[in-house]
Amino acid sequence: MAAITPYTYIQCPCSDSSTLGRSSDTNSSRADGADDDDDRTFDPRAPRSNYSLYPLEYLLYCEDCHQIRCPRCVAEEIVTYYCPNCLFEVPSSNLKSEGNRCTRSCFQCPICIGPLAVTSVETKPDPSLLAAPDNTAAPQSGPYALTCSYCNWSSTEVGIKFDKPNGIHAQLSKLRNGGTARLTAKERKERRRDPSYRSSAATEQGDGRSGSDEKLDLETQFANLKSFYQSQLADPNASDGGLAALSDLGFSSPTSLSRIMSIYTGGSLHDKKAKLRVGAIREALEVDEGLQLADLDESAAIAQLHSEGHDGTASTSRLSDQPPNFGEAHLHGRSRFVSELRPIPYLLRTKRSKRCPVCRHIISKPEAKVQTTRFRIRLVAGSYIPSIAIRPLSLSSGSGTSASGSAGIPGALLEPLKPAHYLLTFTNPIFESIKVTLGAPAKTPGRFASKVTVLCPEFEIDANTDVWDEALKDPSGAGELRDRERERERRRHKGEEGGNVSNNNNQLEVGKIWERGRNWVSIVVEVVPAWLRLEHGTEEQRLREDEDLLEIPMFVRVEWEAEAVGDEVGAVVGRDKEAREKRELAYWCVLGLGRIRH
Amino acid sequence: MSSKRHSILPPVSSSGPKPPVHFSSSITIADSALLTGTHPIAIHSESVVHPRAKLDSLAGRITIGRRCIIHERSTLGAVGTSGKITEAAVTLGDYVTVEVGAAIEAGETVIGEGTVVGVGARVGAGAVVGKHCTLTPHSEIAAGEVVPDLTVVYSNGMRRTDKREVAELKNKGIARQIDVLRRMIPSNPAKFA
Ligand SMILES: [Zn+2]
Ligand SMILES: [Zn+2]
Ligand SMILES: [Zn+2]
Ligand SMILES: [Zn+2]
Repeated sequence: MAAITPYTYIQCPCSDSSTLGRSSDTNSSRADGADDDDDRTFDPRAPRSNYSLYPLEYLLYCEDCHQIRCPRCVAEEIVTYYCPNCLFEVPSSNLKSEGNRCTRSCFQCPICIGPLAVTSVETKPDPSLLAAPDNTAAPQSGPYALTCSYCNWSSTEVGIKFDKPNGIHAQLSKLRNGGTARLTAKERKERRRDPSYRSSAATEQGDGRSGSDEKLDLETQFANLKSFYQSQLADPNASDGGLAALSDLGFSSPTSLSRIMSIYTGGSLHDKKAKLRVGAIREALEVDEGLQLADLDESAAIAQLHSEGHDGTASTSRLSDQPPNFGEAHLHGRSRFVSELRPIPYLLRTKRSKRCPVCRHIISKPEAKVQTTRFRIRLVAGSYIPSIAIRPLSLSSGSGTSASGSAGIPGALLEPLKPAHYLLTFTNPIFESIKVTLGAPAKTPGRFASKVTVLCPEFEIDANTDVWDEALKDPSGAGELRDRERERERRRHKGEEGGNVSNNNNQLEVGKIWERGRNWVSIVVEVVPAWLRLEHGTEEQRLREDEDLLEIPMFVRVEWEAEAVGDEVGAVVGRDKEAREKRELAYWCVLGLGRIRH
Repeated sequence: MSSKRHSILPPVSSSGPKPPVHFSSSITIADSALLTGTHPIAIHSESVVHPRAKLDSLAGRITIGRRCIIHERSTLGAVGTSGKITEAAVTLGDYVTVEVGAAIEAGETVIGEGTVVGVGARVGAGAVVGKHCTLTPHSEIAAGEVVPDLTVVYSNGMRRTDKREVAELKNKGIARQIDVLRRMIPSNPAKFA
């Protein structure tokens, strides 16, 4: 079993139904009724808790609401779109016209997703004929291909070569697999209108009619269908009109169709005149009208399967990575083989700013420039609420040589029914001293209740003053650093005493903090892990997932005094340094201590 | 300056027996390459052995073809799990590149012409790797495995076939690289004779 290191997860208030929508004021008024809180102990095992617990590093803080904000409740806004490969910023207007992929020459390998490089596929002239450096510096010419330097994939495998080494995206979009050019809309129109092409195509097919077995690619088929239906709409008399009355509401009636078309095109095809035109319209019957017969002959695919086996087929994830390619062949015979995959243009990434869901203030805003990783605004919770570090504390009289808590092996299993001690170190990040009140249920929720005792549930932590400020202020010149040195000395001294059993007992006094530093306080939590056996007759003997995990729900209330914010009118005039207001923040967190032996 | 650099590195241990060598006169072998073992080590024309590459012929003969590049800290002929002595421990074809830190175990192991054994890759004892294969960094070939020609082993053992047909180009590239390396690496074949 994987050993776990102790952790602290904090619950964002957004998931707490009782505080949902309440401001911090109602929160503070509720605080005196502490009994209410007891009624609804937070259960870290509840299925919902999975979605509301976060490590401190994930949380943000709204300075206006004085509340924690998690990734789930913040409102995100996109600041910048950029290509992760070339770091080019893409304007959002381009996004609408060109899609969410990089349109420069950034491509990923369809096999291994490594970046592709443009290389010349022309064989270089023999280097022995010329001086080598000149030869390599000579401009390379001739067709280019995208190649992957990791798995050696090359776009020549799908028959794609490029004439120019730049503007690959535009070139690729015009090429079909095998190197044949995709028709432009204009070319398609011309082909349809041009009788000479049609006749030549017909003669090529050796068929009088323009054969309906002609292969259409998706785009051409769609264009053909669209023009066919539009001509049907325009000419209602072309229909037989036999079942006019019946088909008025059917899908094949022009009125329905024009209604649908107007939904998509936003045009005014649907007018009153159109309503009067009644009559069924026929379906496409020819290639020119967009008819494409299904190609049911799959012998080629079967033969390829035989020769390449399962490894030759593309996985669904690879297929879903493929960008839409409208120039490709019809759906029948759609690429299922690895050998048909095309280069993937890089998906764009975003930089996002985050807003408080309640007051709409921005609580995180990255620098808009792609190249910088700095933030303009970033209110991380870690600089507002105390962090909690957990460390096992060994107090066993024999081995407890160091009182400052070098416990047994970290991540070791907890022995059932054997009291264990943990040192919780609260570090105050703010520049005011804070008062912390802890509340934890005497027994952990769940089928196996472990006993929990917080030895000192109420304490104060000094302000997070600047280390150097302190040092310079010190009149004796000893300085904070030397103070700390001395403190460490003292602790070490204490540690030696810690070997003494009686002294240990003294230190584990209820209501006393264990240790205190510049801006931190350590307290002790005693747990008696549960016996992970159910009595006979209970319905299920087996442990469920993570039931051996000892997690303590803990309610943390932090109070401090801060300089009053001059919100009120005239506050600026009357404000002096003593005008301070009381602040409070309360939240649930979960202390994960370890696994219980079973 | 070179003496200073040597002081940083731990001393090259020259323990073990000195193997009989058959060097072509055109090879480049660094002074600090490590050759041990009892069986002969043959290196054919224009091959380059980088500093601190280790060739161990304890488990059998080692043959390196023409225009091979054996990079730093790579090991040829490491005694694998079998530990048995065979006639030919490791045989490299022509134009083989063994990248930094790669290991080729002893035991009739064959690497075909033009194959690249990537950084930190491992080829097990008795494996036969075909021609113009690419073993990407840190890939592993199991002992006794046969890898067909033009195979690319990538991403935790996935396989595919190289269809670029650039073997000629690659060989030319290696030749050019060897030209450069010859000027960079002071060769001292006399030390191993
Ligand atoms: Zn939240
Ligand atoms: Zn790009
Ligand atoms: Zn690749
Ligand atoms: Zn807010």
